[in-house]
Amino acid sequence: MNRLTTLSIVFLLLFAPTLGSANPNGVGEGTFDAQCGGACHGDADMNKSSSSIVTVEAPDTVYEGLLTSVSITVEQIETTQTGLLGIFLLSSMNGAGDTPSDQGWSIVSNSGGGSENYVEVTVNPGQSKHTVTWTLRAPSVGTYALHGAIHHGGQDGSDAPFFGASNTPASIDVQTVPEDLPRLDEAFNPPVERTVGEGTTVELTTQFVEGLRVEWRVAGGEPQEVPATANGDETWSFELPASLQPSVIEWRAHLSGEGPEQTTPWFQLKSEEPKWSVDETTAYVQSIAMLLAFMAGFMALQHRTSSPSKAYEDDMFEEGGEA
Amino acid sequence: MMVSAGTLHVVSTELTVGAFAMAGLAFLLAGLSSHGLLGLQRHLNLMDHVAHFALAFGLLAMPMAILTGIQASPGEGIDHPLLINKMLLASASFGLAFGVLLSRRTHGVTLWDDTWGSRWQTMGGMAASGLILATASIGGTFSRGESLLDMFHLPYEQVPIFPIWLSGIIVMMALANLAMMRRSNA
Repeated sequence: MNRLTTLSIVFLLLFAPTLGSANPNGVGEGTFDAQCGGACHGDADMNKSSSSIVTVEAPDTVYEGLLTSVSITVEQIETTQTGLLGIFLLSSMNGAGDTPSDQGWSIVSNSGGGSENYVEVTVNPGQSKHTVTWTLRAPSVGTYALHGAIHHGGQDGSDAPFFGASNTPASIDVQTVPEDLPRLDEAFNPPVERTVGEGTTVELTTQFVEGLRVEWRVAGGEPQEVPATANGDETWSFELPASLQPSVIEWRAHLSGEGPEQTTPWFQLKSEEPKWSVDETTAYVQSIAMLLAFMAGFMALQHRTSSPSKAYEDDMFEEGGEA
Repeated sequence: MMVSAGTLHVVSTELTVGAFAMAGLAFLLAGLSSHGLLGLQRHLNLMDHVAHFALAFGLLAMPMAILTGIQASPGEGIDHPLLINKMLLASASFGLAFGVLLSRRTHGVTLWDDTWGSRWQTMGGMAASGLILATASIGGTFSRGESLLDMFHLPYEQVPIFPIWLSGIIVMMALANLAMMRRSNA
């Protein structure tokens, strides 16, 4: 019993540093408060200040319920050798209840291919700047602030987690939509992900739109126009070309009608290799089955071959022998 | 100074693989000596102890390798064919190694006196070691994109997943088998 207790304590002590340390392999994308900048790294008091510069870019004015884009740019990036950098879009720096959705914003997509406020990116060696863009649906009329924050590891040997935030938030005035403003329908949700090699037909629904032009580009490249077909009452469709490798393309629409012409934000469409998935429960059960089958199978084989012996009483591998 | 799961995984994996590799070699030598080959007869007792001790030590180190591996792996869950194959191979190896040790415990050292008993024990110990080496090789392929066993072009990307009912039947049969053996020994 004493031996078991000692073994258990040693085993737990071996794991203690791992359980208490940061997550050097990241936590993956998700919806996180800023406090996770500390919580995901254990004790928030252990955080060091990041020397990176974080800036938030957003339009000054947006319309209630319509889509807009907000970008966070991180400069002078310092991170671990793996290059992992976590970037948050936040509605306040309270540390709790501060995701954009807590203020009524709805995240439609981000340039990482997800729809969460926290994006984890891998920065290439030598890269000092990185931008992540979110597409959001605006909340009700009012003035809102959006902040950017980051967390990452370092190479100073301290293993400390670093946390940084934008000095000034982006202030956004959400206004009532003018009556005849050409716009995307509030029910429209742009596609955010597709498989490599597949073309994408986007079907747009609009309001007060009489003409539509669509542009697409490889992220950061030269825009190219693509013809849009009117399918009837305020519905349009257009084709985005297939990508040959995992990449992000962006598209936007110029909407014209009786009201002033509007241009949507750039929407990101990420293409990925087909995802591999498996039912984890099935795999775990099969794993247990294989463990037991191999154990029982081998023992049965030896059972048939040899008969249990009571010889060699002092042998440590034998039942009743001393261990 | 904190030690990351990745570092602990490397340490525990090296312990496991090293112990299993030693066990595999010792099982081979024990098998040869039990058959009176290469003049190793007088070393049978030594090889028997080395093989089973190394195998037992590898089994003790394996849970830590698995736990730290899960903590160190990127993303969530087992979402890659290599990870599934690693898990299945490690389970098979764990079961086989445990069976080898329990058989040795049940039958004692007289196990080596029986021609087929010694052959099965040798093959079982070596197979368990081989499965662990294949598991480590998959780990190398997953983390570094290459491993020593790449020369054999093993189908690491193909995952043989059974229907859950079949796994259930196998579990039942294995448990029944163990129970019957226990009863016949009693």
